[in-house]
This record gives sequence, C-alpha cells and structure tokens, in this order.
Amino acid sequence: MVTILNGNMKTSPNGFDLYVNDVARALEQTTQVNTFHLADMKIHQCIGCWSCWWKTPGLCAIKDDAEPIMKAVIHSDMVVFASPVIAGFTSSLLKKIQDRLIVLIHPYIEPIKGECHHRKRYDKYPDMALLMQKEADTDDEDEKIIADIYKRLAINFHSNLKHTWFTDTQTTEEIAHDLSHI
Amino acid sequence: MTLAIFNGSPRKQKSNSKILTDHFLQGYRSVAGQKNVITEFLSAKDQMVQNLETFSMATDVIIIFPLYTDSMPGVVKEFLEKIYFLQNNRTKNLGFIVQSGFPEAIHSVYVERYLEKFTRRQGHNYLGTVIKGGVEGIQVMPPGMTRKLFDNFKKLGEHFAEKGEFSNQIMKKLKGPLRMSKVKYIGFSLISKTPLLNFYWNSQLKKNGAWEKRFDRPMETQAKGF
Repeated sequence: MVTILNGNMKTSPNGFDLYVNDVARALEQTTQVNTFHLADMKIHQCIGCWSCWWKTPGLCAIKDDAEPIMKAVIHSDMVVFASPVIAGFTSSLLKKIQDRLIVLIHPYIEPIKGECHHRKRYDKYPDMALLMQKEADTDDEDEKIIADIYKRLAINFHSNLKHTWFTDTQTTEEIAHDLSHI
Repeated sequence: MTLAIFNGSPRKQKSNSKILTDHFLQGYRSVAGQKNVITEFLSAKDQMVQNLETFSMATDVIIIFPLYTDSMPGVVKEFLEKIYFLQNNRTKNLGFIVQSGFPEAIHSVYVERYLEKFTRRQGHNYLGTVIKGGVEGIQVMPPGMTRKLFDNFKKLGEHFAEKGEFSNQIMKKLKGPLRMSKVKYIGFSLISKTPLLNFYWNSQLKKNGAWEKRFDRPMETQAKGF
C-alpha cells in the first residue's frame, strides 16, 4: 500500500495536483493507494504538548483530520511526501502533517549507529519518497539540502528515503513503476 | 538598529525557546538597554500580519525554534514562505537559533544548511545559526544543571548587542561535538540499558498515569477503516 501526502497549498487543482493524480491512477493498477490532498483537510500544527508521548501514548490530542493520515502511513509500505518546492523546501502544509507524525514513534531515546534516536513504537515503518515540483530558482544545492533533511527524517522514523523525484525529470509512469516495485 | 526575535515554538510562552530567548535578552539589554527590541511568537493566533510588519521594519532578525522532525516546525516554514513573497523586502541581518532535545549537533546541522541558503537567496546577511542540543527538560532541571547554558545565552546576547553578530566562540561551545565520542557513545549505550536514560520520559508518563500504556500501538490495533 502506498500513501501519498500531497502538500500542494493551492486549493483549486493545478498542474502539480494533476501530476500527483496521474501517478496515483497509474499506481492503482497494481497497488492500493491512499492520496491525501492536505489543502482540502483540516490539519493543525503540532502544538508540542507531547500528549502522544506521555499522556495518551500513540494518540494525538488534536482532533482534526490528521488521524486517518497517521493510520494510513503506519499501514503503508511507502509514504510519498509530495509538494511544490516553496522558498527552497517542501510546503509548510506538508511540514505540519509531517510534524504530527511523531505520534508514530516513541519518546524513549536509544543509541543507533553512533547517534541518539527515538525508539520505534511500531514494528514496521514505511519507506519514504519525495515528489517535488521545482520553483523557478531551484538548483542542485536545494535538491541536496531537501533530500538530506528527509534522509534524516527517515533515520528517525526507522525508514529509508528510497526515491527523490522531480516532476520535470520523471514521468508519472516511471514513478508509478518505481512505486509498484517496492 | 532594531532587533526582532521571532519565537517559532508552538509552545509559545511555555517554550524552552522562550527561556533561552529571555537569557539572551538579559545579556543583550545589559549592554543595549531596553530600547529597540521586539519579540513575537509565530504561533500566536492571527499574528501573521503583525509578524510580517515587525520583520519588515527590523534591521536585525533572529528566529529561534525547536527542531521538529529534523527541520523547522511547520509554523516557522509558513513564516519563511511569507517572508519569501514579501515585496520591498529590505536587506537585513538574519540569524537563527535551533534548539533540540537530542544531545548531539548532528541532528540540527542539516536544517542549518537550509537556513543559510534561504537567507542568501533572499539577499539578507546571514548571521549564522546557533545550535544547542540537550535542551528538553531544562524546565525541570535543578539550577546547577542549567547555569552554564543560561550564562552562555546571556553572553551570546551581550556579544550580539556589542557587535551585531553571534559570537563564534560561544556558538562553538553551545553546539558541542557533531557526534558523541566513541567513549561517550559506549557509556550512553550502557546507560540506555538502565531506566536512567529515559528518566525524564518515565517520570512524566507516571505523573500522567500513562506508564502502563507507554508501549501502546493504537494506530495498529484500531479499526483499519481509514
């Protein structure tokens, strides 16, 4: 199963949404796909209350549209963080749900490969992929900065960043093909 | 010179970022006096217009935030997006303070690269990023355990008031090593097998009556009807 988190901030469908929908459609031939268009959902920012770590372990205190996303992510083989690049990084909308995903890991710290990281809450976590649309001045350095940050996120989520795609260099069929072979 | 400090912690007044800012300002004001400092909270309700006005009129800007999932909290990214699209954005001196609960600096150096690139892309002068790990728990630590940290933030503020920049020497002290030394890591690995390492989390879990549920996996066991 693949979960796509579409962090495009535009509420009316545009080129990026159409691209993401094409990927999802092509992928549905072989895999179950959950696509969340975050701009159409009520997603609050993480408020740092840590209820999910020390009051109601594994459950977020904020009651909005985030819980189905959390469930979909933890049941997936792959989660795709999809977003136009805005100010050199993925969108704030995508970042808000990303921050909320701490509900899926444990507060305890443990040593992993020479560093401190959070312990797993679940046995299995999905692999990760990035799907982005460049902005006018996106360059190689931006691509590396974004990918490196998501690689770090993957380490903390006991996962791996398997793919980094851009809409201008990859066809939707190629992405669907990569995703159907996870 | 007008200094604006934006606190990007969603915990706002109750944040560790606020505590560190207060110590920075204590040092800053001891040199520069009370004038020309504005502090704002990025998570304050309906505050975005005010925050952008403050940003526009400031000559020096510091954005302080906790590391959230290996980069800036969503609300900080939202603010950076708004700055990015500001018209008539006058050149300013822009610096950042990133604090996290992880003890090592390695976790924060990736977002530092983004912050530097963002600042330069905008044509602002990059003052640097102060990185400080091991901050979680400072609100419950005895004074002896936080004195050095708070003194360093006070000195950082004094230096900023004098020179208009972060002191490299203090930044280095606060940042500490990128990773733990081998000896420290072995010690850490041994401690991780005892309840000592996660004492803070355990005490909070017990205080909240959630100790028995600490390993719950509610997203797995609840109906899969998402």
